[in-house]
Amino acid sequence: MGVWYMPPFELVQPRDLDGALKHLADWATDTKILAGGTDLLPSMRQRLFEPRYLLAVGRLPELRGIAWEDDWVRIGAAETLNAVAEHPQLCQAFPALTEAAASVAAYNIRNMGTLGGNVCLDTRCHWYNQSYFWRKGIGFCLKKDGSVCHVAPGGRQCWAAYSGDTAAALVALEAQLRLVAPTGERLVPVREFFLNDGQRRFVLRPDEILTEVRIPQWMAGYQGRYFKYRIRQAVDYPLVGVAVLVRTSGPRVLDVRVGLTAVNPMPRYFDVPSEWLEDPPEAWVERVVEAVVRLARPLKTSLLVSPAYRQHLVRVFTRRGLRSLLALPTAA
Amino acid sequence: MEFQTIGKPTPYLGGEDPVTGRAVYTDDLRLPGLLVGRILRSPLPHARIVKVDVSKAQRVPGVVAVITGQDLATKYGILPVGQDETALAVDRVRYVGEGVAAVAAESVEAAEEALERIEVLYEPLPAYFDALEAMNAPPPWIHDDKPNNIEREYHHHFGDVERGFAEADYVREHSFFCPRLNHAAMEPHSAVASYDLQGRLTVWSSTQTPYYLHRTLSKVLGLPMNRIRVLKPYVGGGFGGKDEPLPHEIVAAKLAMVSGRPVKVTMTREEVFYLNRGRPDQYIWLKIGVRRDGRITAVECKVVQDGGAYCSYGIVTILYAGQLLAAIYDIPNIKYDGYRVLTNKPPCGAQRGHGSVNTRFAFESLLDMIAEDLGLDPVTIRARNFLRPNTRTVNDLRVTSYGLPECIRRVVEASGFFEKWRKLPYGRGIGLGCSHYVSGAGRAIIRSEMPHSNVVVKVDVDGGIGLYTGTAEIGQGCDTVQAMIVAEVLGVNLRRVRVVAGDSDLTPLDLGSYSSRVTFMAGNAALQAARQIRDRLADVVSRALSVPADRLEFRDERVFDRENPDRGVSFDEAVYMALQESGGTLVGKGAYSPPPEAQGGTYKGAGVGPSPAYSYSASVAEVSVDVETGEVRVERVWTAHDCGRALNPLAVEGQIEGSVSMGLGQALTEQVVMKDGRILNAGLLEYKTPGLLDHPVIESIIVESIDPEGPFGAKEAGEGSLAGVIPAIANAVYDAVGVRIDRLPITPERVLEALRKKTRTAGRPAEKPEAVVSASADA
Repeated sequence: MGVWYMPPFELVQPRDLDGALKHLADWATDTKILAGGTDLLPSMRQRLFEPRYLLAVGRLPELRGIAWEDDWVRIGAAETLNAVAEHPQLCQAFPALTEAAASVAAYNIRNMGTLGGNVCLDTRCHWYNQSYFWRKGIGFCLKKDGSVCHVAPGGRQCWAAYSGDTAAALVALEAQLRLVAPTGERLVPVREFFLNDGQRRFVLRPDEILTEVRIPQWMAGYQGRYFKYRIRQAVDYPLVGVAVLVRTSGPRVLDVRVGLTAVNPMPRYFDVPSEWLEDPPEAWVERVVEAVVRLARPLKTSLLVSPAYRQHLVRVFTRRGLRSLLALPTAA
Repeated sequence: MEFQTIGKPTPYLGGEDPVTGRAVYTDDLRLPGLLVGRILRSPLPHARIVKVDVSKAQRVPGVVAVITGQDLATKYGILPVGQDETALAVDRVRYVGEGVAAVAAESVEAAEEALERIEVLYEPLPAYFDALEAMNAPPPWIHDDKPNNIEREYHHHFGDVERGFAEADYVREHSFFCPRLNHAAMEPHSAVASYDLQGRLTVWSSTQTPYYLHRTLSKVLGLPMNRIRVLKPYVGGGFGGKDEPLPHEIVAAKLAMVSGRPVKVTMTREEVFYLNRGRPDQYIWLKIGVRRDGRITAVECKVVQDGGAYCSYGIVTILYAGQLLAAIYDIPNIKYDGYRVLTNKPPCGAQRGHGSVNTRFAFESLLDMIAEDLGLDPVTIRARNFLRPNTRTVNDLRVTSYGLPECIRRVVEASGFFEKWRKLPYGRGIGLGCSHYVSGAGRAIIRSEMPHSNVVVKVDVDGGIGLYTGTAEIGQGCDTVQAMIVAEVLGVNLRRVRVVAGDSDLTPLDLGSYSSRVTFMAGNAALQAARQIRDRLADVVSRALSVPADRLEFRDERVFDRENPDRGVSFDEAVYMALQESGGTLVGKGAYSPPPEAQGGTYKGAGVGPSPAYSYSASVAEVSVDVETGEVRVERVWTAHDCGRALNPLAVEGQIEGSVSMGLGQALTEQVVMKDGRILNAGLLEYKTPGLLDHPVIESIIVESIDPEGPFGAKEAGEGSLAGVIPAIANAVYDAVGVRIDRLPITPERVLEALRKKTRTAGRPAEKPEAVVSASADA
């Protein structure tokens, strides 16, 4: 019972991206990509993954660096969460992203955990993130080794919650992801990267490596905040995460977007229609709140907090974010 | 009298080791030929074992020994009245996670593979996961000899509660619930065993109670105690989770005996949660009657504890819950009905503040509710019910020193309580909670008249002072405090004292680190032993210097004439002089037994609750409540603790802070969540012990009532503060937003739900109508 030792694996440490791609060309389906390891390794101890190879990408030069290039801000996928959270220009340009990065787990975990790893975080569910002994005892679950979803029995869909903090900001920021495979590379908008399926999770193929996250420079004019609920102020995964972005010009509100995480199998977003913004904010703030709340479909995937409460927090956080960024008086 | 060592904040002797990673814990031990032991655990909550087939496991390469319940069939238990466990299940499993068989192998991989190949045929039985359900269940009962699944029930009636309630002007009752908890000590349990060719067994274990382990090994393995040696390496916290003999210790020993090789069995964190022995789920119904001025006339309390599948400490837990309703306030009449119920869950046992914490939460909450109804403030209602020092309670507990009034005065002052109470803005509140605890149980767990603590002090030609004690240092600082006592008596530098502890071959009997007994009991034994050394040295020096022995002072590493300080010898010289006399090596021997007056009454259950002294504590918590999210943040806690005398103030402060931390966790976030007998959060990610960022600023205040019987006046410091912290937080939440949370933990959802229920017009607590008082008073 419990997590006594890692399942056996072979650690592959290529010198550069080419080396990594060569490995993937032959062994993609037997390989898990290892960046900081803060999500993957505890799950391996629970026998959620037993890959033959771990492909270490954390030190690949092609996956490092933070730079302003052309119309984009490019962040290497292997940059640590602390490197993102503490980067002065990023903090200035994309506060919702850096706040989200700074809220992940705890300081020492953020020294290991990477932005790319956070984006590709596994979905979480209390029926799934358990030891082998425990999962065997309940007959396993749809996401791993079993055929039944205990959250929504009878269904064929896995409802495990996507729990990456930074994605809430990235979907609102219209970031793109560079995915590189032995056969070539593609750029995928982060809004199209995720799938609303806790098992399949996203469109990343086994032979692809996420090498960079890039954000349009024109998004730097937005104010932003990230609100997170977790039971403890460190270590815990988010149970609700809301990123709110607002662009204003004097008294005029030009654009408003909200990103949402930890309440669905994928992150969601809501762009406020520009015609709403022609009215004064008090006229549409609550409509935005309700639109975001409608996107949230938390189910009983978390142990200590009910779906209804998480839904309630989506409402509170969205409202707080909008009202504080629009400098409206606190709601009664 | 001015102390040289006592009362000085002193870092732990050897404290550098754990901080730098050099401390050797049980799991760090490496012996030649060491095997890995692993235990196969039941996946079912309740089942008959029809057959266990280990033949395939025995054939796994690397497997050296396989044992089953049949190999360890002798029942044992920490309590003489609770000998109901076997190290591995023999014919029936009673909870998920109970051991069924065990393997010793060359590698953990081989051991795990062997476990997979053990075939167990179970025949499932009906299982119960709630105490109230289990009490009303038909046979087969969880233990055939425990009808209705009741391990034990007590119906105590002290004084006359009917008369007491009749005399009351106001009576209020309320129900509370507290969930199952786990200690979550940093170090998972571990045991290493070795059986030598001379037929002697040696066991190293991360235990709080080496002596009880020693006895149990002897009983279960059929070896005389003198052929067993028990050692306690460095222990990374216990909090009650390591204070009884546990299955893995016995399994390690048996595997060593069968294999002829040393064996280590270390628990995973998940296994720690299934070993458990933590605080039980508890239903509490409490009723208090008071006069108009707040004086308590009667208390009635009913407690149902879901103790899990075995007795463990359960009978003590259910007794403490009732017995410690007394000895903090003056209560003339008490009626208590306690039920310790068996369910198909891992056994509950002792956890910091054993038995008293949950009823204290209920009591201090209800006291505040009553105070409000009567128009009294929280301090006044408590002050109206103070005990006097040197009294005997209605249930025969002897109270000597009593620092509660000063504790309350100090926290009220430090926190500015009356400037804040009912005056802070909505969403911000302050609350008070009080508590107390025993300084060691007045009676030993085993029925025995032996002294509870024994200490030997030995001084030889190097001038070093050997302090031999059977106490179990588990991080609480008991080695250091005993050394400080000896250094104080002999007037020497603390570094001169070498502590040899927790090795049954070398150290004398001590009952162990539980019930906050060590400073008081082993401290008294150490004091007595050191005084014998001092007397012998004084005798020698007195004759040599022609100074009366009672004029000799031991100070600053010298022995000298108090009236002529230049006239004296160094401590080393004094030792050398004494060694040349016919007695040779200097040996002092101390022993402590609680006095008969501190051993309680004669009624059934009277053995739990009495103590030679009680600590007292008061906590004030200031909280902020987010009324939109329901989140409670504890901003600051002031805790005063009457520890008699702080022998080592640094350690006392550490214990107060630790108690606040555990109280905070129980109040706001901690609970073991189970479904069908399986723990859903058997790990430190989902079992929410508060982290650093969740902690408030803690202001520890030491109150010294100078106990007449404690060593230099000391009492306990390790547990007593915890229980007051929880109601202080609950009362502060009420002050902040006017909702009473009577079910722990105080989660944001419960706060929100209560806020929704509260009518908008009710407003702040102060505006509650006076009419409630007269209406209920007639009831």
